[in-house]
Amino acid sequence: MVTATTPGFTLDHLAIGQSATVRTVHGTDHIRRRLLEMGLCPGVVVEVLRRAPLGDPIELRVRGYLLSVRGDHARQVELQIVGTT
Amino acid sequence: MTTAVLPIPPRLAVRAELRSVALAGNPNSGKTTLFNALTGLHQKVANYPGVTVERKSGRCLLPGETVATEIIDLPGTYSLIASSPDERVTANVLFGRQDQVRLPDAVVVVIDASNLPRSLYLVTQLIDCGRPLVVALNMSDIAARRGLVVDHAALERLLGVAVIPMVSHHRRGLADLMQALTCARIPTRIAWPLPQALLTQMQVLGAVLGTDAGGIGGTAHHLLIGDLEGELGNVAMTHAAALAEASRALAAQGVDAVEADITARYRWIDTVVEQVVVRQPSAERRSLTEQVDRVLMHPVLGLVIFAVVMALVFISVFWIAQPLMDGLQDGIARLGTFITAHLADGPLKSLLTDGIIKGVGSVVVFIPQIAILFLFLAILEDSGYLARAAFLMDRILAKVGLHGKSFIPLLSSFACAIPGIMATRTIENRKDRLATILVAPFMSCSARLPVYILLIESCFYPVLPARYQAVGKGLIMLACYVLGIVAAGSIAWLFRHSLLRREVRSSFILEMPSYKLPQFSEVARQMWVNSSKFLTKAGTVIFAFAVLLWAAMYWPRLPPAQERQISAQVAAAPSEDQHITLHERIADAQQSAQISQSYAGKFGHAIAPALAPIGADWKTGIGLVGAFAAREVFVSTLGIVYGVGDTDEQGTGRLSAQLQRDHRANGLKVWSPLAATSILVWFVLAMQCMSTVAVVRRETGGWGWAIAMLVFMNVLAYVSCLGIYQIGSRIWGG
Repeated sequence: MVTATTPGFTLDHLAIGQSATVRTVHGTDHIRRRLLEMGLCPGVVVEVLRRAPLGDPIELRVRGYLLSVRGDHARQVELQIVGTT
Repeated sequence: MTTAVLPIPPRLAVRAELRSVALAGNPNSGKTTLFNALTGLHQKVANYPGVTVERKSGRCLLPGETVATEIIDLPGTYSLIASSPDERVTANVLFGRQDQVRLPDAVVVVIDASNLPRSLYLVTQLIDCGRPLVVALNMSDIAARRGLVVDHAALERLLGVAVIPMVSHHRRGLADLMQALTCARIPTRIAWPLPQALLTQMQVLGAVLGTDAGGIGGTAHHLLIGDLEGELGNVAMTHAAALAEASRALAAQGVDAVEADITARYRWIDTVVEQVVVRQPSAERRSLTEQVDRVLMHPVLGLVIFAVVMALVFISVFWIAQPLMDGLQDGIARLGTFITAHLADGPLKSLLTDGIIKGVGSVVVFIPQIAILFLFLAILEDSGYLARAAFLMDRILAKVGLHGKSFIPLLSSFACAIPGIMATRTIENRKDRLATILVAPFMSCSARLPVYILLIESCFYPVLPARYQAVGKGLIMLACYVLGIVAAGSIAWLFRHSLLRREVRSSFILEMPSYKLPQFSEVARQMWVNSSKFLTKAGTVIFAFAVLLWAAMYWPRLPPAQERQISAQVAAAPSEDQHITLHERIADAQQSAQISQSYAGKFGHAIAPALAPIGADWKTGIGLVGAFAAREVFVSTLGIVYGVGDTDEQGTGRLSAQLQRDHRANGLKVWSPLAATSILVWFVLAMQCMSTVAVVRRETGGWGWAIAMLVFMNVLAYVSCLGIYQIGSRIWGG
C-alpha cells in the first residue's frame, strides 16, 4: 500500500516482495559508504527478495543485481515510500 | 544531459612503451578469466610486501611491442576508497603508492554488461584517477539473455575511452582489447553532477592546498569525501583546519560530501545507462539466477540442499581421496622395502627409509585430500554458491562473532586446517578473519582421525556393553568432533569480547553473483596453485619435522651389549603370536629399547612428570613428540615404543592389544577409559601441527598470532585434560 513518507521507516522493516525508494543512508562509518557505493543511494528503488533462515541477513535487488546485507546495515537505510507488493 | 562530454582527442602519434598494464574490476566481473586469456601460462603469484594479498602478474606480448608487457591482475574491488586489504592494494597500485610496484602505464577495467550501473561506479573513479584507460565490456552474453543489449559505441562516446565488447571465457574480443591497449588514452575528466556547495568547497579548500587541487578528482575532492590513504592522510593532517572549515561549511548547507559524491556519480551513470542499454521486452522477467535462488535459498529447502551439498563435498573429500591415499602409501612403502633390500644396515639406510621416505610419505598422503578439497572450493566459488553459503550461515556464525564467510574455511578445516586457513582470505574484515584463523584448528582434521580410532578401539571398545559397542564407538567419535566445534565457538566468542573486540563494525554487504557453470580451466588452475602452495608451505615443514624426529629417535644408539641382551630375552620368552617370526620380535623389541633411550625417548621421560597429572606416562610423551610432525605420527610412534613395529593394518590391532595389556606399578591400566578420554581431549584441543603454525604465521603476517595460538591452545588442552583426569580419577579411581 502506498502511504505518505514515514519518517524513520528503514529498510529492515520492508517485507519480502516489497519495494521502496531510498531516502538517505544514515551513519558515519565505512559501512555507510559501502552501502552507498554498492548503489543504495538516495532515489534508487530497492526490493527485498528474501531473508536468510534466521531472519538475517536480507537479500535485496538494487540496480538490477542481487545484494545481501545484515539487518543492522539495513537499519541505516531510510526509505521514502512503501510500495505495493 | 548536463554533463558535456568532450570529443575524443586524436590518437597520439608517438607514445611511450607499455611496460605494465593493470587489470581492475569488480569481483565476479570475469577479470581473472581475462587475465588468464591474456597471459596464458606465463603467470607469477607472489604476495604484496607486508600484506597477505596475492600479487598475480603475467606477461603478454601486445601488438607492435617488442618486449612483453607485464599484466597485473589487481584484487577485485568495488571502489577505489578501500574497505579491505585487497581493495587497499588495488587503490595503492592505481595511485602509484604501492611499495615495489611501479605505476601501471595503462589500466583495463573489466565491466559486467549484465550489471552495468555498479560496474560503471568503479569506472567513474578510474576516470578521476587519470591513468590511460580501456574498458573491457564483459559478459554481454549473460546480459543478452536477460534482454539487455549494450551499445558499446555509444558507451565509448560517453565515457571518452575505448570500450571493447568481449566474452572473455570464449576469448572473444581479446585481439581488439590488445590493440586498444597499445593506444590507451588518458580519459577526459567528466563533470559529475556534484552539488554546487560541494564544488565551491572543493575550490576553497583546493586554493589552500595548492595548484590544481580544487578540481574534480583533485586533492580537495579526495579529502572532502574522506579518502585519506597514503600521502592524502598527511595532507589532511597538515591542513586539518582548512579541511575542518570546509566540512563545517558543507554541513551548514546540509550537504554530506560522501553521499553527494556517490549519488552524483550514480545519477550520471543512470543517464549513461539510459542511453546505451536497449531492453528487449521479450526477455524473461526473472533471471535464471533468481529462479535457481528460489530453490537454493528457500528458508527450508535451501538449508536442506545446503546441508546435502556440504555433506557430499565432505564425504567425497574422504572417499575419493582414500584409494589415492592408499595407493600413494603403498608406493612409498614399496620404495622403502626396495631400499631396505639394497642397502646395508646403518644410519644412511635408516635416514632414507625411516627419515626421508617416511617424511615424504607423511606429506604426500595428505595431497589427494587437499587437492580434492581445493577442487571443491574452487567449484563452489566459481559457480557463485559460496556467496549463498555465506548468506545462509551468517546469522549463526555472527552469534559467536564470526562471519558468514567463515563457514567454508571452518568446514575445510575438518579435512585439514591449512586449506581452511588459506581460504579465510575472502574475509575482508581483519578481525573476523583472525578469529576464523584462530579457531579453525579446533575442527577435528583428518590427521586426528587415526588417533581417535586407535584410542577408541583400544580403550573404550572393550569396556562398552556388547550390545552398544558400535553405537558407543560412533558416539565417542562424534563427541570428539562436537567438542572441537564447541571449543571453536566459545573461543571465538571469547576473542571477540576481549582481544579481538571490534573497533570497526563487522560488515556483511555481499553481492550474490549470477550462477554460472564453473570453468574447467579456472577450477583446475586454482586447484593446482593452491595444492602446490600447500606442498611448499606446509609440506616442507612436515618433512623437516619428520626428518628431525627420525634423528631424535635414531640417536644415541643402543649399546651392542644391550642389543644382545634383548635378543636373548626375547628368544627365551614364549611367543604370543604365531604370525610373527622370532627375528621380527627381536627387531621390534630392540627398536622399542632404542627409542626409549634415544633423545626423543629422553624427552618423553623428561616430560613424564607433567603428563602424570593428565593420566599419561613417558610412552605417550614420546608419541606426543612424534605428533609434532603430523598428528597421525602419534600412532606409528606409539607402535614403535610398544615394540609392535610399524603400525600397518595388523599392526594397529597388535598395538591395541599392547595398550590394553599395559599396566602401571599400582596394577591399574595405563590406558584406562579415563586416561584415554584425557588424551582424546588433548588431541581435540591441542595445537601440535607445526605446519599449521607456519601457515598461521604467513597468513597473519608475523609470529605473534602463530605463537599466541600455539600457547593458548596447548594451555587450554592441558588444563582441560587436567580437570578431566583429576576429577575423574577422584570419582572412578583412575
